[in-house]
Amino acid sequence: MAAARRLKRVAASQPGFLTLKPSLNPSDLVSGRRKRVNKNKKKNWNKHSDINDVEEFLEDVRHQERTTGGLLSEKSDDSLFFLDVGQPKKAEQKVEEPVETKKRKGKASRPLRIDLILQHDSLIPPAKDVLAYQQPNAKKLRRIAQKAEQLAAKGVVPRRQRQLLNRRPVDRTAKKSATEANNNPDREYYDIWGQESRESADPWYLQQMGKKHVKRPEKLNEKPSVLPAVEVIAPGGSYNPDFLSHQALLQEAHDVEVKKQKQEDKLERQLAFNKEEKATEETVLREQVEGLVEEENEEEEAAANDDEEEVAVGAIALAEKKTERQRKRERAEKIKEQQRLATRKQTDQQQQLFQLRSIKASIKQREQKTKANQIKRKAKQEAQKSQPRRLGKLKFQPQDLEVQLSNELAGSLRQLKPEGSILKDRFKSLQKRNLIEPRDRAKFKRRLKVKYVEKRAFKEIT
Amino acid sequence: MGGLQKKKFERGAATNYITRNRARKKLMLSLPDFRRLCILKGIYPHEPKHKKKVNKGSTAPRTFYLMKDIRFLLHEPIVGKFREYKIFVRKLKKAYGKTEWSTVERLRENKPTYKLDHIIKERYPSFIDALRDIDDALCMCFLFSTFARTGKCHVQTIQLCRRLSVEWMNYVIASRSLRKVFISIKGIYYQAEAMGQLITWLVPYQFSHDHPTDVDYRVMATFTEFYTTLLGFVNFRLYHSLNLLYPPKVWWKLSALSASLARVVSSADEEDAELDQFPEDMEKMEAREKEQKQQEAQRKMFQGLKFFLNREVPRESLAFVIRCFGGEVSWDKSICIGSTYDVTDETITHHIVDRPNIDKQYINRYYIQPQWVYDCVNAKILLPVEDYFIGVTLPPHLSPFVEEKEGDYVPPEKLKIMALQRGEKPANEQEEDNDEEEEEDEDDEEEEEEDDNADEEEDDEEEAEEKNLKEMEDKRSQGKSLQVKVTPGKVKVENPARLEQEEKAEEKRLAIMMMKKKEKYLYDKIMFGKKRKVREANKLAAKRKAHDDAEKAKKKKARK
Repeated sequence: MAAARRLKRVAASQPGFLTLKPSLNPSDLVSGRRKRVNKNKKKNWNKHSDINDVEEFLEDVRHQERTTGGLLSEKSDDSLFFLDVGQPKKAEQKVEEPVETKKRKGKASRPLRIDLILQHDSLIPPAKDVLAYQQPNAKKLRRIAQKAEQLAAKGVVPRRQRQLLNRRPVDRTAKKSATEANNNPDREYYDIWGQESRESADPWYLQQMGKKHVKRPEKLNEKPSVLPAVEVIAPGGSYNPDFLSHQALLQEAHDVEVKKQKQEDKLERQLAFNKEEKATEETVLREQVEGLVEEENEEEEAAANDDEEEVAVGAIALAEKKTERQRKRERAEKIKEQQRLATRKQTDQQQQLFQLRSIKASIKQREQKTKANQIKRKAKQEAQKSQPRRLGKLKFQPQDLEVQLSNELAGSLRQLKPEGSILKDRFKSLQKRNLIEPRDRAKFKRRLKVKYVEKRAFKEIT
Repeated sequence: MGGLQKKKFERGAATNYITRNRARKKLMLSLPDFRRLCILKGIYPHEPKHKKKVNKGSTAPRTFYLMKDIRFLLHEPIVGKFREYKIFVRKLKKAYGKTEWSTVERLRENKPTYKLDHIIKERYPSFIDALRDIDDALCMCFLFSTFARTGKCHVQTIQLCRRLSVEWMNYVIASRSLRKVFISIKGIYYQAEAMGQLITWLVPYQFSHDHPTDVDYRVMATFTEFYTTLLGFVNFRLYHSLNLLYPPKVWWKLSALSASLARVVSSADEEDAELDQFPEDMEKMEAREKEQKQQEAQRKMFQGLKFFLNREVPRESLAFVIRCFGGEVSWDKSICIGSTYDVTDETITHHIVDRPNIDKQYINRYYIQPQWVYDCVNAKILLPVEDYFIGVTLPPHLSPFVEEKEGDYVPPEKLKIMALQRGEKPANEQEEDNDEEEEEDEDDEEEEEEDDNADEEEDDEEEAEEKNLKEMEDKRSQGKSLQVKVTPGKVKVENPARLEQEEKAEEKRLAIMMMKKKEKYLYDKIMFGKKRKVREANKLAAKRKAHDDAEKAKKKKARK
């Protein structure tokens, strides 16, 4: 090393020597007064020692190792040099090319630029990360793993694994809500009336716990109407009806229509205006002139009216005070009157004995009347039962009779045109039997009023 | 004033009723939910007798419910389910608004549902109660199964209704319990008997739909939801009573109604249970045995007959009716699945056609119109086929649901059928005798005989005698020699029953003669009232005769 250094110094002191670093003067390297430094002090070992030559050499060595993977001096001759004997045959290479597909012209064979950038460019393998191989408690972990292996060999498996193995795979075939829905077409039924009651525990206990089954009130089991669920249409409603029953049905429909027509006529009559009552010119004139034209007849009538009024005025005159005599007389009369009434009453009672028969007859009549009334009322109640009750705002509107006119009757089942909609029929039947109340469609009510504004164009026009 | 005064409207009727809005608020439900709950639980509004009292003085029309019913509703578990559903809808809307699709998925999968089984058990504690209410359920299910699957109401509901109606029809076929059929302009009415209950239901025609706007679909859907549940359980029980497998595995195959149901226990076919011998009068037992035999004969009415349905006839209805009475039926393969034999099969006995004419006619089968099947079912015997041939004017289709009392008008066709039922040979035979000898005036004689049948319900012997006399007179008037010959006298067998009847009539007449004046007066009044009915019936019959005459005259004119 000292020899190498001396050699370098000598080489550098030659006058034509060119250094790598141009800033450095060759003369500086050799000459110049150097301050005397004590090299034995620790402080000066680093400050005033020149290790550039060593550094350069080491750099050169590292450079060689990076680029060529080792010291050039240690490489073999064959790796460094080759004998140039001209171009070899290219026919073999050309045979290989057409085997590859034409698609990959040259793009797939060339590596990506990013891959090239990311590759290691030095041939020195990267250093091993020792810390990565260090494991705290490596021995302990190894011991645990060995024990687990031994147990697994025996058949004992840790709890976590056992639970994982026991977990069944999730059945994701059908949605739970779809299968449990009430209108699932494939729903299952079971024997609902075969199972016995589930009163398992003491009734007091159930009541205290709030789990007692509430009984359904008895009244709810009664049907709200006596009408049958399905009312069969009259025989005239057959698709090929018997003549008379068809006529009977037509008669019924006719009656309904006549009734409707009568009501309409009645309304019209009430609203009708009688032309004769319209005021003619003559009557208008007379009305306007009333009281203005003086006539003799009128004066006589006025005089007669006055007399009558005076008579009435006279009768209102004050009555004079009663005398004692008058009062006594009145008292006696009152007593007489009372006596008379009492005797009259007694004789009446005695005579009633002879009137027994007629009294009996009158009582019988009255009883008959009450009985007749009772029967009528009961019949009315029975009739009411089959009528739809008034359950809400709207009255029940019965649907029109389904009837086909004689020219609409079909000759055969193929040509039959059905009348009426069964959906509507069932709906009305539910209303008739008091199961639901008649309601009409909900109207669309606006909360806020709509403001109408004319467009400017319209404003100009109108 | 003190505080112990009675206040108005605090007790009595006013507290027994509650208005609809109050009830809804008490239950904390919205109005559609409240209606749905009432329909499901079977709670109906009531009209109080004294509206003014209940309505606290006003007469405004309001809907009232009984307070007890509403208090009972408070204990119902599906009220909680309704509230959960409301919350579910709210959460779903929020998730949609925030476009959180995974949340939407999760919510949808855990949608709250409710079951109606406990309600059915509560409303119908026994199976017979459920059977009594099954009419309505059947009508609704058949109606919904004919709806179009557009999506206006859930398609699954329609499918479920279709499945249940097919199951019911197959049960009726397997138990042979159909009794009456009536084809009306509205739809087809059927009546069957199950477990002693008469069940009537109405099936709409397949092709008739115009959906009216004033029907509340939500209400109908709620009813259907309840009724489908009920019908399913009833079907289950009925199937098990016949030892049949429920649910039938491939029900859509059964919708063709040509296959028979599988049995759980393959027992011997139809072991006829013998009647228990109760110590009763011989007459009653005999009557019951006779009835049973009649029913058995009726059930096997179409047995052995093979039917083929042409394209234009209502396939499902006819297949159902024919199979209910033991017949075999088939149709063209292109219409529907389940056709067992083809039109070219030689063993077909009846071919049901509804066209005015048909091209190819096989010899050994009858070509008849579909009304024959229905009329046979109603008459409970096989009617003569001649009246129902192609191109023939059909006799009117009478309603089997009409019960005629004594003295009411009975249409002549019905009389004819009743005569056939009694086993008498119709007037056709006597006509044949006349045909041999007199070819003219056939129509007149037929008319007369029919009129005889129509106007009076007399003894057969008297009728026959009258007819004979008439024939003899006609022959004499036409100058032909009578066929009457002198033959040795026959001993007239005295009918003991007839003798008894005559004696009774004599006694009655004597008793009437011996009545007091007052009693006779009353008796006359009663008989007048009774005879009035008969007189009216006669009047109607005369009208009918006039109409028939007019028709006949028209026909003759048309012919000429």
